[in-house]
Amino acid sequence: MKYTIVFFFIGAISFAQTDSIHLLDEVKLYGNFSPQINSGYQVQIFNDSVVNTKQQSLGNLLQSQANLYFKQNGNGMVSSISLRGSGASHTGVYWNGMAINSSLNGQTDFNTFSANGYNQIEIRKGGGGILFGSGAIGGVINLRDQIIFEDKLQTQINLGLASYTTQKGLIGSQYSTQKIYAKIVVEGNRSTNDYPYLGTDLHNENGDYENYHLKGVFAYKINDNNQIQLFATAANNDRNLSRTLTAPNNSKLKNTDSRLMLHWKNFGQAYNSSLKLAYLNEEYHFYFNKESSDYSFGKSSNYMLKYDFKYFIKNSLSLHTGLVNKYSTANGSNLLDKYRNDFEVYLLLHQKPIDQLQYNVSVRKGFSSIYEIPLIYAADIKYQWSSKFDIKANFSTNYRLPTYNDLFWNPGGNPDLLAETSTSGELGLGYHHKKMTINLTSYTIKSKNLIQWRPKTPSYWTPVNVQNVENYGLEFEVKFKQRFKKHAFEIQSKYAYTIAKDKALDKQLIYVPTHKANASLNYRYRNFTVNFTELYNGKVFTTTSNTQIVSAYWLSNLEIYKSFLKQQLTIGLMANNIWNTAYQSIAYRPMPNRNFEFNINYKF
Amino acid sequence: MKQFKLLTLLFLTLVLTYSCSEDDSPTLPLGDYEKGYFITNEGPFQNGTGTISHVDETGNVTQSIFKAVNHEDLGSVVQSMTVHGDFAYIVVNNSHKVEVANRYTMKNVATIEGADIKNPRYFVVVGNTGYVSNWGEALDATDDYIAVVDLTTNTVTKKIPVGEGPEDLLVDGNKIYVNLQGGWSQNNKVEVIDTGSNTVVSTLEVGDIPNTIVKDASGAIWVLCGGKSSYSGAETNGKLAKIINNEVSFFDFGATDHPNNLTLDADKLYYSLNGKVYTMSTTATELPTAEVSGLDGFYYSVKAHDGKLYTTNAGDFKSEGSLKIFDLSDNSLKETIITGLIPGSVVFQ
Repeated sequence: MKYTIVFFFIGAISFAQTDSIHLLDEVKLYGNFSPQINSGYQVQIFNDSVVNTKQQSLGNLLQSQANLYFKQNGNGMVSSISLRGSGASHTGVYWNGMAINSSLNGQTDFNTFSANGYNQIEIRKGGGGILFGSGAIGGVINLRDQIIFEDKLQTQINLGLASYTTQKGLIGSQYSTQKIYAKIVVEGNRSTNDYPYLGTDLHNENGDYENYHLKGVFAYKINDNNQIQLFATAANNDRNLSRTLTAPNNSKLKNTDSRLMLHWKNFGQAYNSSLKLAYLNEEYHFYFNKESSDYSFGKSSNYMLKYDFKYFIKNSLSLHTGLVNKYSTANGSNLLDKYRNDFEVYLLLHQKPIDQLQYNVSVRKGFSSIYEIPLIYAADIKYQWSSKFDIKANFSTNYRLPTYNDLFWNPGGNPDLLAETSTSGELGLGYHHKKMTINLTSYTIKSKNLIQWRPKTPSYWTPVNVQNVENYGLEFEVKFKQRFKKHAFEIQSKYAYTIAKDKALDKQLIYVPTHKANASLNYRYRNFTVNFTELYNGKVFTTTSNTQIVSAYWLSNLEIYKSFLKQQLTIGLMANNIWNTAYQSIAYRPMPNRNFEFNINYKF
Repeated sequence: MKQFKLLTLLFLTLVLTYSCSEDDSPTLPLGDYEKGYFITNEGPFQNGTGTISHVDETGNVTQSIFKAVNHEDLGSVVQSMTVHGDFAYIVVNNSHKVEVANRYTMKNVATIEGADIKNPRYFVVVGNTGYVSNWGEALDATDDYIAVVDLTTNTVTKKIPVGEGPEDLLVDGNKIYVNLQGGWSQNNKVEVIDTGSNTVVSTLEVGDIPNTIVKDASGAIWVLCGGKSSYSGAETNGKLAKIINNEVSFFDFGATDHPNNLTLDADKLYYSLNGKVYTMSTTATELPTAEVSGLDGFYYSVKAHDGKLYTTNAGDFKSEGSLKIFDLSDNSLKETIITGLIPGSVVFQ
């Protein structure tokens, strides 16, 4: 099977002809998230209008808009994702195409990310190891800065005031010409976050947080064929860790992340090349007692090189190849001082033999200084049945490499761990008509050798490649738009049915809701906008024997915006949890009661 | 005829006994949990509650009895429980409190909490005074103490400062032996408190990380010391310390052996090591070389009682654990009982 694909590539190259080629804008824009080379996948894109209406964490945005499930240790606390029932480290998070999941634990804390200031957020569900590397099992999420060379000077100020003495402020400026582009965004959020725990005398003690984000995007268009881009972000998250229903907490977590990336894009008539050099640094300090100066820490520095090359043999046939080199070091209070060097290459062939049909076949292999990186392969296809109906299907093998914590935690780390592997398949049907969009997707993921920390003796835990998990599920999405004169309506609803079973126990994994749904109604009239969102989160199990649960909950949020001064000024009022529902995301960690927010957004 | 007389006597005795007890108020059961024994379940470390399971004299298990009776969660990490008089004292480590409940009904009658109960571990009673070992603030090596509790008011009346990490406590007449296991760090001492003056009267050096302490019928006190683990960077071997009149003698384990769970049944000591259970007589002069076959397992706690060995297993720590009961006459497994999450100890009445 593996060899067949490699031969297929070679065959395709030798038979190729170079006729006249017009590079698609789309390809320039989307990179590895381009709908073309992901034709058999569901790629969802949230634009500026959704991302930047109010200030919120990436987790909150994705939960309300994309129907994704997050485990939150209380409001503003550590938040991890489970996409299609996969683990927290099985969703790859990318920053302008560069993998940024923590090298220490493989995860992304979605409450330390601000969604603001990015132009687009792309979500690609399903296995994506070939294009995205380690950890792209449930899916991948990309935060994108879109660079457009146009004459523009704009400043945005966004201020928010909310319950629990929450203050939010953002100022961003963009200056661009036909040749240069510069954007700087500074953001800060803080909150005492001391909401009452409904039905008890307690409140969210020790839950206060403060975070600052700085980002800059600079680009220079050398000529029509060459661009240099520079991306930089720095974030500082300082959180006390809140109590639970049964125990107080006096600890504190500080995260500092900085990222710098240089990107050289070069377009030819029949090729598109992209070279990225990045430096990513992450560091945490954990204070068991926030009043004490004692802390434990972990940090990792990552130097990455990513080169992608796309060659258009003809308009309907292209070859995509790339290589990634990641050299990283890590150390910490409980980490051995180690480095690792990973090198991976991939090859993908895209073909559109007839207008209705396009497909990709691909393969990836890596080498590492400390473990074996498996060979993976994938294929996906999209068939446009008619102008309204399409069918998408994909098959892929994927992997996740062990993290520094898994390998080198002291005590317990296991340097002999293997990569986790998985096989996924997906079939989707789409219906798109003027006002209506419907998507129905079914998928399956079989994962092997998942790494779990298990007690070797009651006091000595060590990670082992032990768990086999089988996931399958259905995702349903419907969108409907209608307009009567100046009244515009948009209704959408998403539903996900998720089964994720531990094969040995034959039980649903903990913290994977079988049912999750959302619905939103957007109404616009002249300068008025009203958004109503309803979320349903099904019950989740909290014991591996499925004997204890966190109850299901419904959550309703309402937002009203009014614009003035030719859309330059927007004032927003938001009410979250309007029915004052007592709910928990993680057991014994209540989430906020009814709360309000006032927001002003000014662009000039 | 003789037989008849005997029968008559027996009959009369029965009638008399019967009427006697009928004249008195009938012996009503004191509560649902009067007989049998308890299991303390720590519960998940952060996001949940510990529980108490009850096993009655026929082996029937009832889970979460504290919550069933009081309609309230017991709290985070139930570390230990001590039954004394009419009361059960339940030490809830991560909620920093001791719940006092009627031992027969589990009805909650008081809570010992406040600034003077900080990371509590174990509880013993002498007369009308309770003693609670407390680690104090995390990472502070100098604020560890034994809280002295007036059991008529259930309030802390004094804090006796001790070395770092006071753990298991043992009452010996008017003395309390305090194992200084080390808490978040490591220690190697046993401190002795005089309950008359409520002060530390002597400090004995034992092996590293004293984890359990028992007293045998002869009055000798045995302290099992785990030794420092290999990942501490300075591994030391386990030791069994025998204390007679404040004189300490040692039995040395192998350099990489780290025993725990010392427990006593009549004149036999039991402990676990490397997934096996060992036994030795209290008069032995050497450590046993072979394990007791049939009792193997990586146990979370081990307790000998009345010729039986009660061993708990926390499984994956994310679901119900189990209790295995072995008959020590032939080391056969008698019963397996499902417990709550992370069963930390078995408590007899």
